[in-house]
Parts: sequence; structure tokens; C-alpha cells
Amino acid sequence: MKRKTRIGLLILVTALFAAVPLILDSENSYYVYFLFMAFTYIALSQSWNLVAGYTGQISLGLHAFFGLGAYVIAIGWGKEIIGFLDPLGMVLSGLIPAILAVAIGIPLLSKLRGDYFALGTLGLGEILRLIFIQGGALTGGSAGLMLPSSSYTSMLPYYFIALFLAVFATAVTYLMVKSSLGWALISVRDDETAAAANGVNVLKYKVLAFTVGAFMAGLCGSLQAYYLFHVHPQNFFGLNWTLYPILMCVMGGVGSTIGPVIGAVFLSAVFELAKILLPEIHPIFSGVLIVLTIIFLPDGLVRLRWFRNIFEGRKTESPINLKLFTGKEK
Amino acid sequence: MFYLPPIDILLQIMINGILFGAMYGIAAIGLSLIFGTMQIIFIAQGAMIILAAYGTFWLFHFFSMDPYLSIIVIFPVSVIFGLGLYQVLFRRVARAGKFPSLLIAFGLMVLLENLMSVLFTPNSRGLRTSYTAFGISALGLKISFTRLMAFIMAILATTGVSLFLKKTLIGKAVRAASENLESATLVGITPHKVNMVTFGIGIGLAGLAGVATATTYSFGPYFGFVFSLKAMIALALGGMGSVVGALMGGVLLGVLESYGAFFLTGGWADVISYAAFLLVLMFRPEGLFVRSSGSERP
Repeated sequence: MKRKTRIGLLILVTALFAAVPLILDSENSYYVYFLFMAFTYIALSQSWNLVAGYTGQISLGLHAFFGLGAYVIAIGWGKEIIGFLDPLGMVLSGLIPAILAVAIGIPLLSKLRGDYFALGTLGLGEILRLIFIQGGALTGGSAGLMLPSSSYTSMLPYYFIALFLAVFATAVTYLMVKSSLGWALISVRDDETAAAANGVNVLKYKVLAFTVGAFMAGLCGSLQAYYLFHVHPQNFFGLNWTLYPILMCVMGGVGSTIGPVIGAVFLSAVFELAKILLPEIHPIFSGVLIVLTIIFLPDGLVRLRWFRNIFEGRKTESPINLKLFTGKEK
Repeated sequence: MFYLPPIDILLQIMINGILFGAMYGIAAIGLSLIFGTMQIIFIAQGAMIILAAYGTFWLFHFFSMDPYLSIIVIFPVSVIFGLGLYQVLFRRVARAGKFPSLLIAFGLMVLLENLMSVLFTPNSRGLRTSYTAFGISALGLKISFTRLMAFIMAILATTGVSLFLKKTLIGKAVRAASENLESATLVGITPHKVNMVTFGIGIGLAGLAGVATATTYSFGPYFGFVFSLKAMIALALGGMGSVVGALMGGVLLGVLESYGAFFLTGGWADVISYAAFLLVLMFRPEGLFVRSSGSERP
């Protein structure tokens, strides 16, 4: 497909989803809730996709930024600095994780070894969770912060904001990747040494991708905080907020713009079905699914031949197949 | 807020920390071996430890088998389990690099944790033997017997693994592969075999750590993740790819934690250990006990 067709398709799909609340009763429909969650996951998956799929840096700390974004809203709202579904507040909830990403990213990403980054980001999530548990009155400890749930009027704003976040994350990823910036990111992923030798400021681009990813994750966290009205460390700093987006990304196809979208929608549906049909064992199910996906479908759904024929029209190489994730010693 | 307690209390905390940390050390050695050859952090190590702890628990519960005696069952079973795990899950993807392996380990952790939660209920369990509360008093210090045993197990495991790596042919192959996989392959070392051996030993050590855990703590299905993290911290402190370093990292972490818990509160102790972890990763990624060579080990 050509670029124009792709953008046209994005607009068409967005318009279709935007029309969903016209057909379904947004207050009672389970599908609207489902789509709301799926959109959030699309945005989170794109965030991870940008960092891991295009820049090759495996972050295991999505939940750190997600939770931080949620707490920005919870604390800000409690102090009456931020209002209900306040756009400025949401931007702030993206900016603060982004600042943290710069602060933590520069030392961690300047190392040659990708493992340090994966471990460090995992540690970051854990450390933030503990700090927020210990935070006393400001963070509400392990019980978390309750927000004024009387502000809730309708599901519609949540739905549209989530849709906006999904489109925003996808568009940002697409635009970044299609620009010269994207070439820099991909060159860093494919061969760091060669990229550096060709004058690419490796650290700058790694940190940039990580920061943009953190910004998106923070935004998603703030929306969930507004939706749940109860921000507490166990949920918002839960590892599932990293695990599911990674799984969705890999399932859909790492390092392709459409992959995370497909993966997120598909897996959200699978998980919801599992929750309904197999309520007891559905977490086991997600574990099995990760293992099976990696073993049998490491390149993702978008790189299956039939899919490629429909959508891509040309062969897109999978970064996993090409051993680009090997982090091969240089 | 800060006061200096008498020296014997400080010493007692130190000893508790050392004994405590030895267990992290056992887990970290397993991680270190797997990391050496496969270049991945086997994040499911903690879940494996808890699985072994459950094994010990059930052996005691149903067959009244002494936890330390059950090592003769747990260790071989864990080794075989590790070998099988590599063959079934990792063999296919090991070639494609470490990224898929890392994710499989992640999935395995989720799978095991939830499987244990369904099978064994999420309630935490603890072993109660005749010697659980037994302690040895020496020089005014009190040493818990079970923790001392855990420490001895850690020392034995470290010695055993070190000897294995230095004296046996397979051990030398493992070392060669960790040093440089390509050159090792050139001289006829099969990467799959080496990977499989390290997995076997790694999971075997998780089995040992599981026995040590079962005798000293109460545990639940989800405790493994924290264990993995702690083992990882121990590994980072000690320097990746060094067996003795891993044990020392574990001990250091144990001491750090027990002083942290004494001077601050339990929750902040964890924050301190994670902060130490992040700082080491940022500024001294080759570990505290490895002489810095100026260049990073690839």
C-alpha cells in the first residue's frame, strides 16, 4: 500500500471507531469498555514498539512510567492543581515520566550492553512501587489514593480519549519511523557500531525513543487513573502493564506500525474471552500464550504470508528473524 | 533518629545479613551461569526456587521427609527439569538471539506463578520442623540453624560449581562459550549442549535455593519474582559471569538489607537495595568485585 492509502486507512478506521458509541449504548455496552481497554493497550504497545521494536532497546519498565503518570493525576487532583480529565494535567502526567526517562535513560543507555537497560528499567518499576508504598500521606501508602468518583458522568469521554491516545501513539510512531529520525533509530537497532561510525548520535536517539515511549505510557496511566478513581501501587505498578503490551507487540509484529495495533486488539479479545470462559486459570493462559507465541510466531501476525499479501504488498523483514535483537557483541 | 546501637547488635545484624544473603547468592550463581552462555537474565529463576520450595514442602508434608534429606530428590529432579526446559522451550529460539529467550523466560515465570497459585492455593506456606526455631549461641551472638545450613549450602554450591567449571571438560566448555561463543563453536563446542548444561545446573541450584527457602521462610506462589530481582541485584553487585562474585554480591545484598531494615523500616530496606542496584548498573556495571579493566566485557 502507498503512504496515502495507509494514512487514509488510518483515518477511516479511526472514524469507524469514533462512530461506535453512536450504535452501541456506551454506558452499558461491554464492547465499549472492551474497546476502551484495547485502545489503551494499543498506545502502550506502540510505546514499547518504538523503544524495543525500532530502537532495539528492551525496556521492562513500562509499568514504571504508567504508574507514575497515574500518580501525577492522583496527587495533582488531590492537591487541586489538576482537574477532572484535565488536558494540561494529562500532558503533565506524560511529561514527568518523560523527564524521569531522560534522567534514567542517559546513564543506563550509554552502556553498550542492552541487558543493563532491561534490568535497570525492571528495577525502576520495582523501586517506584516501593517508594509510592512508603510515600506516606502524599501517596496514600499501599492503599493508594481515592479520587472523587462523583466526577464520573459518562463513558464517552474515556472512550474518545483512549481512541485519541491510540491514534496519537500510532501516528507518532509512524511519523517518527518514516522520517529521517526513524532511519537513525533503525540503524541503532541494526548495528550500533556502524550507526555510530556513520555519525549517528546513538545515545541521543536511544534516549529520545525511550522518552517518547515514557510520555505515551504516562498518558495511558493518567487515563486509567481517571477511569478507576483509585490509584494504588499494586495495580498501577503491576508488572502486567509491561507484560501485556510486550506480548501484544510480539504477537502483532515487533518493529512494524500496524503490528501492535493488531496484537493489542487480538490479545485484548483473547484475554477477555479467557476471563469469561476460564475465570480460574486465565493468568496461566496468558503465560502459556507468551511462550507459545515466541516459539511458534516470533515474527508476529503481520509477517505471516497471507497477512503480508493483503497489507504490506512487499516483504518486511522481521527484526527477530534477522537476529537484530541478538545484541551481538561488537 | 539515628543512634549507634551497641557493637554486638551491629555484629548480630551483620551475621544475619550474611546468612540471609547467601541464599540470594545461590540463586545468583544459577543466573550467572545461564547469563554466561545464553546472555539472558533468566527471570523465571525465582519462580523455579519457589517451585522447589513447594516440592520440599510437599515431600515433608506427605512423606515426612526431612527438608535437608529431600535435597537428594529435589536437586536431581531440578537438574533434569532444567535440561528438559531448555530442550522444549529454549532450543528453538536460542539461535534467534536473546530477545525471544528473555520473553520466554518472562512467560514461563507468569505461567509457573499462576500454576502454583491454582494448584497450591495462594496462601503462604511454611515448614515447621523440630529445628526450625533452633539457634546456636556463640560469643553472645545467636545464629539460626536453618540459616546457617543455607549458608553452608551456598558455600558448597559455589565451591562445587567453581570446581565443575575449572576441572571438568564440560565445565571448561561452558567457560569457553561464555568467554566467546563464536570461537568456542569453532573449536567444536556445541552451543546447544553448553546451554543445556548451564540450564541444568542453573535450575539445579534453584532447587537448592528452594530447599533453603522452604526451611527458613514462609513462601507463596508469587514470592519468586522478588527472589529473581534480588538474585539479579546480587549478580549486578558481584559482576555478571563470575561465580564467586555472585555469592559475594548476594552476601553484600543481604548485609545491606538487614542494616537497612534495622536503621530504617523494612519497606525502605528494599528501596535501598534497588537503589544500590540501579547505581551499580549505571556507574559500575562490571560489578563491585571485578577489577575494572577500562573496557566493558562484551
